[in-house]
Amino acid sequence: MKFQIPIGPQHPALKEPISLRMTVEGEVIKDADLRLGYNHRGVEKLAESKSWIQNIYLTERICGICSHSHATCFVQGAEKLLEIEAPRRGVYLRYLVSELERVHSHLLWLGVAGHEAGFDSFFMYTWRDREVVMDILEMISGNRVHYAINTLGGVRRDLDEAQKAKILDGLKILKARSEYYLKIGAGEPTFVGRLAGVGMLSRQQAMDLCTVGPVARASGIARDVRKDDPHAFYDEVEFDVATADTCDVLGRAVVRIKELFESYKIIEFVIRNLPDGPIAVKAPRRAKPGEVVSRYEAPRGENIHYIKSNGSDKPERLKVRAPTLANYAATIEMLRHGFIADIPLIFAAIDPCICCAERTAELVDARTGEERIVRFADLRRLAASRQAHSNKRNVAWPL
Amino acid sequence: MAAVKTLLYLVVYPGLLFLFVYSTFCEWFDRKVYARLQNRMGPTHTGRGGILQPIADFFKLMAKEDIVPDRADKKLFKALPVVGLAVVLTAALLLPLWHYQPGASTFNSFQGDLIILLYLLSLPTLILFLAGWASTNAFSIIGGTRVLTMLFGYEVPLFLAVLSPAMLAGSWRLVEIAAFYQHRPYLLLVNLLGFAVALVCVQAKLERTPFDIPHAETEIVGGTFTEYSGKKLALFRLMTDVEMVVSAGLLSAVFLGGFGGGLILGFIQFVLKTLFVIFLLSLMRALTSRLRVDQVVAMAWKYLAPLAVLQLLIVILVKGLVL
Amino acid sequence: MKLGIFLPELIRSLFKKPNTVDYPFEKLEVPPDFRGSPFLHPDLCIACRACERDCPAEAIEIEELSKEEKKFQMVIHNDRCIHCAQCVDSCPTTPLKAMEMDHLFEIADFDRHNLKMQYVYNRAVPKKPAGSAVAPMSPNRSAKPSDGSESATAPAAPKPDPASKPGQS
Repeated sequence: MKFQIPIGPQHPALKEPISLRMTVEGEVIKDADLRLGYNHRGVEKLAESKSWIQNIYLTERICGICSHSHATCFVQGAEKLLEIEAPRRGVYLRYLVSELERVHSHLLWLGVAGHEAGFDSFFMYTWRDREVVMDILEMISGNRVHYAINTLGGVRRDLDEAQKAKILDGLKILKARSEYYLKIGAGEPTFVGRLAGVGMLSRQQAMDLCTVGPVARASGIARDVRKDDPHAFYDEVEFDVATADTCDVLGRAVVRIKELFESYKIIEFVIRNLPDGPIAVKAPRRAKPGEVVSRYEAPRGENIHYIKSNGSDKPERLKVRAPTLANYAATIEMLRHGFIADIPLIFAAIDPCICCAERTAELVDARTGEERIVRFADLRRLAASRQAHSNKRNVAWPL
Repeated sequence: MAAVKTLLYLVVYPGLLFLFVYSTFCEWFDRKVYARLQNRMGPTHTGRGGILQPIADFFKLMAKEDIVPDRADKKLFKALPVVGLAVVLTAALLLPLWHYQPGASTFNSFQGDLIILLYLLSLPTLILFLAGWASTNAFSIIGGTRVLTMLFGYEVPLFLAVLSPAMLAGSWRLVEIAAFYQHRPYLLLVNLLGFAVALVCVQAKLERTPFDIPHAETEIVGGTFTEYSGKKLALFRLMTDVEMVVSAGLLSAVFLGGFGGGLILGFIQFVLKTLFVIFLLSLMRALTSRLRVDQVVAMAWKYLAPLAVLQLLIVILVKGLVL
Repeated sequence: MKLGIFLPELIRSLFKKPNTVDYPFEKLEVPPDFRGSPFLHPDLCIACRACERDCPAEAIEIEELSKEEKKFQMVIHNDRCIHCAQCVDSCPTTPLKAMEMDHLFEIADFDRHNLKMQYVYNRAVPKKPAGSAVAPMSPNRSAKPSDGSESATAPAAPKPDPASKPGQS
């Protein structure tokens, strides 16, 4: 018996709205369809009406988990347009927060993977230890989620000796715990049984479908902006691009845990080699006309911001390509021929940040397939009239 | 006098009242142990140490809006929670706690009550399947089919594992099995393997991690319970709790030497032994990740069933050579 | 691969104190640089409007009430505030900043208007670094609660008690 089950827009496995329509036959997925556009926020349009400095905080709010990634990506580009360069100490501190954020994001992902696989103890323990890095971030920046450490031409807060010591102490705990999780993640038979061989994506497919981040790396493609296009101090510091060649969800988990260790290395390097000097330079309010593409390796993959300036104190255009968007095409490929039980795991394995990837919403008539442009007010009117005229018994929402 | 005793047996102990209180206590115990294993607190606020939390949850659910889906098979949908609860409560009456006569057979203890208890414990599984099917929701139907698929896996090993100590004792009556092992406690060691198999199977029967596949939240929302709400969901939850108590009681009666020694001593033994079994079940819940339904069936036939047969072989050998 | 590889850790936790905090009854300390909500020291504000200009959430409004008295009104809409502390960075007064962040984190309310903070004050004159003392413009320099229905508040202390949260009376 073939039937369609809707995973989302509201579903316990999804923390954000997206619609995955699975055509299943028994427990096996025959086809997958993915619909976006449930949480369009108009960030890009809003960015055009905010000044450069205000846009840092706006871009930071594109994502809640990799908030620093978007802000840094924007600041990298904006600094080029403003023709300023952050001082060394500022750069070090900025990417210190980047790496700390990667640690917290990957630990968060590990917990989520545990939860999706029904391994709640693993979830609780990883999230407990994630608090260590969250506390470090809160101590450095003053907040747990939106660090707001970036400013045009540097960072906003300095690091003192006591804080450095605290970070090193925290790193010790985190290292020990990460090693332990690597052991659990690769050793608990029920957990490995759920991850291994699930959501296969061959190296060729990963290449063809333009995957980024850990998804690509788990398929054996050593693609990392920090290595391929070194910015800031990444050409000075020694680290490896973690890869795996199992091409499955287990590989994606292992890549993330390995990346944790690389991040610890970088953090230690930063703390030990933090140069002296100012942390920021003063930034002009207006940028030169021009355009710039900024790349940044977010925890989820390559993040791209395109910024265009027309010489005023506001950007003329900001385009954000969140890493999740690049991985959607591969997700459908991974889901096909899997089991229903694997849907949350496969989908979680790209570490989806759905709202970050929501750039446009298109209105398509479900019956005719016709595309339309409708004003928001009209949409509301339509919804209200539908509510008023529907008798409650026969509300049929077209899927 | 006997009528009063029987009435007390049915309504107070170990009937309705005791089972309600004790099963909610067991749920609290399970939640608390599970939380502490994960370095959390668990329920803290309702009552001392959150001990009243399951009861509060129950009454909260009773007060919630009760929705019956339009396309559901309404009569079946409404009847199933009540029938399910009744079945497990009936099963609880067969536990050899009190009010039985070792020689003669009574309504709650007779030759073959072990088999009846096992079958009464199988019924809730079928009820869950029917509940999923009657809801006519895509998630419920998947949940229902998963319930049945799993049943094919764990039911046979469970029966084999539980019946082998009975074979050693040479009786199909729980009281006599328990009495047999109370006289020769060292023989309990013979059944350790069967105990392990039965524990895993009971975990699967209760649909707890790693076997919470039929209502795996992240996959199929509520599974069989997706469309259930309010009173019916409350009854289903109570059913699961009572089922846990009865299964733990069955395992302790068969594998841990039962609850001899009259009313008071028997009660203390019952509480301690069931809590021990529930602790082991909680530990298993915390220790593992959810399996896939095909993995469960494969595991059941690859490992559990052969182990249960091995247990049977051990019992036959012991019985033939030692006794 | 081993069955029950997690067991030692779990059993150890069983006898350890829980790592979680019984939150509403027990509270965690926030670090000293925590960014709570912004508030104003009205006696330091020179009404340069830098904070108003840079606030990404448009949460700060400065209005000139009277030109000759140099009287200003600042409204901080804490319901819009995104707690980025850019206003503190933008504030040019030295050595003490007129804008500052408090350490509150339990700032939810049932009515967003309760979160509004209103200050009416006279503009301070920036002190010359050379130390040429400038006489105070007016004796009335402290924050004065307005008589609107919006409960106006005095600036919170740097580390106020959550119970005496401004704007809840």
